[in-house]
Amino acid sequence: MPVTERERLAAAGRAAGLRLSDADAAALLPAWKRYLALVEQLRASVPPEEGNDAG
Amino acid sequence: MMPVEPLTSAPLVQIARSLRRRHVSPVELMEAFTRRIEAAAGLGAYITLPDERARREAKRAERRLAQGEAGALLGVPIAVKDLFQTRALRTTAGSRILRDWVPTRDADAVTRLRAAGAIIFGKTNLHEFAYGVTTANPWWGVARNPHDPSRSPGGSSGGSAIAVVAGLCAGALGSDTGGSIRIPASLCGCVGLKPTVGAIPLGGTFPLGWSLDHAGPLTRTVDDAGVLLDVLSGGDAGHRSRRVRTRGLRVGVLRGPIVRNVQPAVSRQVDAAAAALRRRGLRVREVQIPEMEWTVATQLVTLRAEASAVHARWIRSRPRAYGPDVRTRLQLGALVSGADYVLAQRMRARIRVAMGRVFDAIDVVLLPTTPITAPVVGERRVGWRSGEEPVDGALVRLTAPFNLTGLPALSVPFGAAAGLPIGVQVVGPLHQEARVLAVGRLIEQDAPRLPSPKVGRE
Repeated sequence: MPVTERERLAAAGRAAGLRLSDADAAALLPAWKRYLALVEQLRASVPPEEGNDAG
Repeated sequence: MMPVEPLTSAPLVQIARSLRRRHVSPVELMEAFTRRIEAAAGLGAYITLPDERARREAKRAERRLAQGEAGALLGVPIAVKDLFQTRALRTTAGSRILRDWVPTRDADAVTRLRAAGAIIFGKTNLHEFAYGVTTANPWWGVARNPHDPSRSPGGSSGGSAIAVVAGLCAGALGSDTGGSIRIPASLCGCVGLKPTVGAIPLGGTFPLGWSLDHAGPLTRTVDDAGVLLDVLSGGDAGHRSRRVRTRGLRVGVLRGPIVRNVQPAVSRQVDAAAAALRRRGLRVREVQIPEMEWTVATQLVTLRAEASAVHARWIRSRPRAYGPDVRTRLQLGALVSGADYVLAQRMRARIRVAMGRVFDAIDVVLLPTTPITAPVVGERRVGWRSGEEPVDGALVRLTAPFNLTGLPALSVPFGAAAGLPIGVQVVGPLHQEARVLAVGRLIEQDAPRLPSPKVGRE
C-alpha cells in the first residue's frame, strides 16, 4: 500500500504506464499536488453529477 | 526602385504595395531580410532559415509581378512557426523527436499563404511542441526578446514574434492554445490575433490540445493582421473591419479577481487605452465575469489531458526525448482521469455561458494581454502582494480564457514600461473579428510609440 505522496505518485505513474525516474518524480510531485488542489477546487464549485446521488 | 532596407520594418500592407507597384523586387527584399536575419542571429528566432527554395520562390514571384499578376501576398516573405507542416521543408515542432521530419504536404494554412503568393520565409522557433510560453527551447536554442535579449520573448510562437518585431520577415504565422500568439505579441511589441475557433483550418498543424488549438497571424500593424486573417480564413473580416462603425460601441474594461494581480504599469496602459476609446466616442464601462476565476484550473486540466493524448506513445516509450518542462507536463497529463476531464468540461460550459451573457450588454472586452512585461529568461516566479505565481501561469492567466471559449482575441501594443512593450487585449463575440480589429485599430492609432528593438538594428 503506498503511504507517502511520493509513493502514491509512483503508483499512479505505473498504472498510467509511465517510466518515472527519481528525477521525474521529484519534478512531477509539486505539479501533481497543485493539480490535485485545483481539481478539488473545481469539484467543490461544480454540482455533482446526478448519478452520484441515485440509488 | 526605392531603397529596400526601410521596408524590412514597414507594415506588410506597404511591402505588398511596393512589390505590386514594382518599386522593389521580391529578390531584393528577400536579400534585405536575410541580412537582417544574420544580424539578429543571437535572438534565436529561426529553427530553419530561409534557403535556396525561398530564393526560387522570390524569383518566380518577380516574374509573375512583371507579368502583371496580382495576389494579396505576391512576393511577400512570411515566416512560419515550425509547428505547421511545410512540404519538402523540415518541420520539427521545436522538438528533438521530429528533428529530421520532412513532410510531404503543406499545412492548410501554409497552402493558403502560398495560394496568395506568399514566400514561405523560414521556420520559426517555438517552445518544444508548442507546450509552454517561454520559447526557451532545449534543442533549438533559447529565443530572446528583441527589446532586451536578457528577457524572454514569450511563447510558444516566440520566434514568429521576434521575426516580426526585429524586421526579419513581413509577417508571421503562429498558433495559440493558451495564448501562444498573443503572449509573445504582447511581450515583444507586435500585433497578435487569435481568431474565432475554427476560423483558420488546422490540417497539417502538429496538435497540442485539440479543443483549444487556434492558428493566427503576428504582424506589425492591425491592418496587416486583417490582411493575413482574410488570406488564412478565406473570409473578409479584415477587409470589413475598415467599415465597422465604432462610435457608440460598448467597451467593457475587465475588473475582478483575475486582473487583481497585474503590474501597475500594465494596468495604467489598459486604462489609457480605454480612455483613448472613450475620446473616440465609444462607451466605456467596467465589467466583471466572476466565472473567469475558474479558467486557470479548467484550462490546466483540459490541456494536460489533451496534450497527453497527442503524446501518449512517445511520453511512455521515449520520455528522455523531451525537455524537462514539457516532459513533466506530459507525464502529469497522463495522470488526469476521465472524471477530472469531464469536470473541467462542465466548468468550461459554464464559463462559455457566462461570457456569452456578457456580450449581451457590451460589444468588446478590454483587458491586459499579459499581467507582466517580459520576464528575465529563466525566471520562474512572479511576486505579488498576495503571494507568488509561476511565471508560466501568470502569462496565460488572461489569454487562456479565450481558448476555452473560442472567442476572437487581439493583442495590440500600447506603450512600454522600462523599455519593455505592453499589450492590450480586445475580445469580441464569436465570429466578430471585424469588430475586434476595428477597435484594435483605434487603440493602435492612439498608442504611445514603442522603443525600437535593440538587436537587428542597422
